[in-house]
Amino acid sequence: MKNLKEISTRLEIAKKKIKKKQIKNNGSNVASLGKALKISTELVAAVVVGTALGFILDNWLDTRPWLTISFFIMGVVAGILNVIKSAKKMHKNFKK
Amino acid sequence: MAINPMHQFEVYRIGPEINLGTVNLSFTNASLFMIISAITILFLLFLGTKKKLLIPSKTQFITEMSYTFIAKMINDTAGSGAKSFFPFIFTLFMFVLFCNMIGMLPYSFTVTSHIIVTFMLAATVFIGVTIIGFIKHGIKYLELFVPKGVPIILLPLIIVIEIISYLSRPVSLSVRLFANMMAGHTMLKVFGGFVISLGLLGGWLPLGFSVALTGLEILVAFLQAYVFAILTCIYLNDALNLHH
Repeated sequence: MKNLKEISTRLEIAKKKIKKKQIKNNGSNVASLGKALKISTELVAAVVVGTALGFILDNWLDTRPWLTISFFIMGVVAGILNVIKSAKKMHKNFKK
Repeated sequence: MAINPMHQFEVYRIGPEINLGTVNLSFTNASLFMIISAITILFLLFLGTKKKLLIPSKTQFITEMSYTFIAKMINDTAGSGAKSFFPFIFTLFMFVLFCNMIGMLPYSFTVTSHIIVTFMLAATVFIGVTIIGFIKHGIKYLELFVPKGVPIILLPLIIVIEIISYLSRPVSLSVRLFANMMAGHTMLKVFGGFVISLGLLGGWLPLGFSVALTGLEILVAFLQAYVFAILTCIYLNDALNLHH
């Protein structure tokens, strides 16, 4: 029984230490680096998907090159929208 | 000495050639390393949960830590409604993590540096999440493509943009993992090649870089698995709770 008590006090101390650390480096941890990597690919992926979609539709409807061009532009818009969306989400989470 | 930095990504056949119709189903080094990672995960989790001690041993501690890590992540990003998807996300995270980490060992093969592997994983997530969304909300799930407060004239344009944005999810998910792993491993190999070609005199600088890059790569290997899992949670959240 004495052993258990000792463990619980040690756990308490360790928990307090972790809390202190978490307050100290709030936001500057591995998760932030992950977010940065996430945003950069989101922008590119939407452009690629938009252009590919436009290209496929062009081949299908025989309207080359108009749909490729317009879908490329829409892909860029979608990419920027993606970045804004995830940035907003991060902002909301950060405020909490 | 293989100087070509892309040589490490070559997929070759192990054992006999197996053809099923026009599909080549031969066992390759990629399959071998996927099986190795799966067995390593099973072995680790088996060892970690065998003896349930009050004061955990090291393996038990790792097992419990990975459990709480994923459980907390799902709870934070997708809400408590996504608890039932824990096994899937845990498997996904552990598989990507172990494929990345085992790829860091010398003479091994990095499965996740091939886009077809990562794209299959991402496509599974994407199709699964879409099906879950339709099951949960029915036809109302399409409201995801119609943001509130948009003038009717702009609506066709916005819907197309939203659909492109939705379709870009699996691409961004797979390209991120694949590009990070491949770029990192190529860079390591290039610096390794510099060490050989510069010899005893000037090889020390690239050797130092190689050591530093290895550390960075281990960080990236973990990070990419984490990002993959957390994005799955975010997509799941979109499907489960339509309006937020």
